[in-house]
Amino acid sequence: MSPRLRRWALLIGWVIVLLAVAVYTGHTLKLSTDLRSFMPPAQTPDQKLLMEQIGEGPGSRLLLLALSGDGEEQLAELSRRFSAALRQDAHFSQVVNGEFDAGLLDEALLPYRYLLTPSFDATPLDAATLADELGQRVEDLGSPAATLLKPILPRDPTLEIMKLAEQWSPPKQPLLRDGVWFSPEGEALLLVQTHAAGFDPAAQGEAIAAIESTFAANKAGSANARLVISGPGYFSVLVNASTRGESEWLGRISTVGFIILLLLAYRSVAVLGLAALPIASGALAGVAAIAVVFTEMHGITLAFGFTLLGVAQEYPIRLLSHRRAGETALESVRSLWPLLLTAIASACIAYLAFFASGVTGLMQLAVFTISGLLVAGFSTRYLLPRVLPPGFRDAADTPGLGRIWNWLEGLPRPRWLPPALLVIAALMLWSATTPFWQNDLASLTPVPKDLMQREGRLRAALGAPDVRYLLIVEAADAEGVLELSEKISPRIDALVEQGAVNAAELPSRYLPSLATQRTRQAALPDSPALAAMLADASQGLPFRAGLFQPFLDDVEKARTLEALSPAEFARSPIGARIEAMLVQRDGHWLGLGTIIGMQDPAAFDALARETDGAVRLLDLKGASESLVASYRERILHAFAIAIVLLVITVFIAFRDIHRAWHVLAPMTLATILVLAVLRAGGTSLSLFHLVALTLAAGLGLHYALFFERTTPDAAEARRTLHATLVCVISALLVFALLAWSSLPVLRAIGLTVSLGVGFHFCLSILMARKGRSRDAG
Amino acid sequence: MLLILSCLANAAEVDPLALVNGLQRELPARTAYTEVRFSQMYDRAVIARGELEYLGPGKLGKRVDSPYVETTTIADGEVTIQRGSREPRRISLDRIPELEGFLRGFSALLGGDVAALQRDFEVQGSGSAEHWQLRLSPTDKRLKTRIEALQVDGAGSKARCFSIIDADADVSILMVEELATLTLPKPLTQKNVELTCRRGNSGP
Repeated sequence: MSPRLRRWALLIGWVIVLLAVAVYTGHTLKLSTDLRSFMPPAQTPDQKLLMEQIGEGPGSRLLLLALSGDGEEQLAELSRRFSAALRQDAHFSQVVNGEFDAGLLDEALLPYRYLLTPSFDATPLDAATLADELGQRVEDLGSPAATLLKPILPRDPTLEIMKLAEQWSPPKQPLLRDGVWFSPEGEALLLVQTHAAGFDPAAQGEAIAAIESTFAANKAGSANARLVISGPGYFSVLVNASTRGESEWLGRISTVGFIILLLLAYRSVAVLGLAALPIASGALAGVAAIAVVFTEMHGITLAFGFTLLGVAQEYPIRLLSHRRAGETALESVRSLWPLLLTAIASACIAYLAFFASGVTGLMQLAVFTISGLLVAGFSTRYLLPRVLPPGFRDAADTPGLGRIWNWLEGLPRPRWLPPALLVIAALMLWSATTPFWQNDLASLTPVPKDLMQREGRLRAALGAPDVRYLLIVEAADAEGVLELSEKISPRIDALVEQGAVNAAELPSRYLPSLATQRTRQAALPDSPALAAMLADASQGLPFRAGLFQPFLDDVEKARTLEALSPAEFARSPIGARIEAMLVQRDGHWLGLGTIIGMQDPAAFDALARETDGAVRLLDLKGASESLVASYRERILHAFAIAIVLLVITVFIAFRDIHRAWHVLAPMTLATILVLAVLRAGGTSLSLFHLVALTLAAGLGLHYALFFERTTPDAAEARRTLHATLVCVISALLVFALLAWSSLPVLRAIGLTVSLGVGFHFCLSILMARKGRSRDAG
Repeated sequence: MLLILSCLANAAEVDPLALVNGLQRELPARTAYTEVRFSQMYDRAVIARGELEYLGPGKLGKRVDSPYVETTTIADGEVTIQRGSREPRRISLDRIPELEGFLRGFSALLGGDVAALQRDFEVQGSGSAEHWQLRLSPTDKRLKTRIEALQVDGAGSKARCFSIIDADADVSILMVEELATLTLPKPLTQKNVELTCRRGNSGP
């Protein structure tokens, strides 16, 4: 086989393997969008609850809808049509718009009203009570409300259905106009609870699309009507889309720049395509490794992984820049390999730290980057040289490169510079006034301020529960939770009275405990007794005989019913709420009371003390921040280990303390400088900054390693400079663009890496080179 | 019902809008009333007496003096029901949209606001200037499920009876002005009360 044929055969084989892996992973790998798998593992019970609640809690699954752009009447009518249509949609567990819903209780559950209602707790259902109620009904029938009452009267003369509906309506009723909720600004309001978790952008996206299409289908007649959606789920979709949109847009620009750069640097289209093969192999290997180990990959892992894998672009660039006349590509790569291997090994060892973090998302990231770097590195070593065309331009001959080299060589390298920089950095770090760590993860993917304000406005208008606070009622079983909830209910009422909170909803508001239901059941009169009471009470009243037979039947039925369990109740429309308020975890049951308008969280402390913490206020924001803080501690531990491993790897590779120092010192100083500049600029550090610092350090390691290398001649030194410049410019192309992003998360990564690349490059030249020239001297 | 229909069929057409205009009166307008309610729920007619008050657009008052004491006031989109010495109950009219439509019509009728009336009701008139009858059928679908029609009998510029015919055929007839103090017809049947409204007296 001719060399040319062999080259082509190998290339085609390589591409076929890549395609096969791509097809395999495309079939087996599932991409998940649930943000929680990227969050730190929960430690305390409150953190565990937080992880559950953050996605599935009653607050986070709520979407707030506002209709505007038309007259009040039209909007009210639209609100009714729209909610009726949404109630038919399987995406939603609850749709409320303020309409009085007589179908709140299923037909089958109607007799249970005598077990659910507190009406007869203080005064029993007897002739006197009945006479009083019936007398009021005669008056009601003469009042404007008569037409509403008539249909239910024979079955429910004491109006228990209405009393329950009143009890179950939101504690802070929004304004009602034309029978539906309105905001003070004149928008018709709806509350929609999705089945999907709040922080699953994909599932929320489906629900939101369903809302929008339902709206479009029902807005006939109000062509100008507009729909506004708000709520945690909507924001997660919005933030996801804008992050993806912006990073794709920036990605396209930097890809074009990158292609132009490589074409300028190597003057060959073939080389451009071939240089992409190792990194493509690395990326595919990373994805395939995750497909094998985890089967499901998080979207963020993919994004972070590709970011971190950016280091691997150095490998083919080093090979391409270091080719020289009279040497095959294979020979060139052999002479580079010890350094490349040191770089690859140290990067991989550093990424092991992510694996130790214990967070699924970060473990995936470690598997992805380590396998990606290894495959990219080894394919650069063993495959790429064998498919490169024999003809090339020596990078050392690039015009102007010699001048740059001489200028860099001539730069003064004062010995006091590194310590001076260190002192300046220390001063900058010390003088920074903002908090060192950013614990509020949400601030990195912020929701635009005007949307946040609108959310606050709608939430207040709707009296929707706080997303931040939950009142936890803990017991051994669901019954225990309901009993405790009943017990503390007067205490909560007192807190509302005091003004500590605007309103609160406990689970027992919807469903009394079995014990309470049985007590009420036992107090109900039997059929003959009730009939006698009714006859007694009807004396002198105009009701016709036999009118209240359905009432007698229902009470009799209620006497023999099994008390209503949460599971049974959950099947009715109103029961969906109790389902969201009762959760089982670790053999315990938790009742989740919602809080509306928290004024004084400390007022709940006494309640927690008296119940030994069985009733307590959960501050989701506090819990999530403590979660992030404890998580960061673990990452920092992992990083400390990673640094030690990296230092050891470099020492082992060099077996020379001086040389190792010349590589590690600029890297360390540059990292400190990046930190100092970020802090002096008022940035609080987050997980994303840490990832970006790691990538920058990985790139810096390459620069230092190659500058520190003993070069046989000036041409080889120019090749090193050429390779490093191509790497630096390509890294800046990608990350400096990200630094201009409007999204803090992209900006955090972009700015940190750009700063890092700049500092690492400059310090490598000044410190690593300086070491060499002194050694040579 | 049949009687009304036959009356309508035989009646010379009167201009209903002119009638409504003629009803306009000085504010506040007050009248005593006697209400007779016929319901499928009752085994007999239920009688209530009191005073009706019209205070201007959207403002109505109805006081029951016997057999119980109750004051219903409708003003500013809110219904306030005060019974005996109990705490007054307030219901926002928005919560009962049907009722709101009905009361809008009632208030428009008393205030002589033809435009408002025509917005919510189909207005028919029959009879003569001395014995006229207005029938207001709601156009709103939701209101229609509750109320079949609002009927007014009168003579000249004075209304004698307001009848509210529910969708389930229950009827409540309010006799006002001089009819309020009239001796009720015997036997007290719906047909007899309707005849009284028509004739302006309870004589046989």
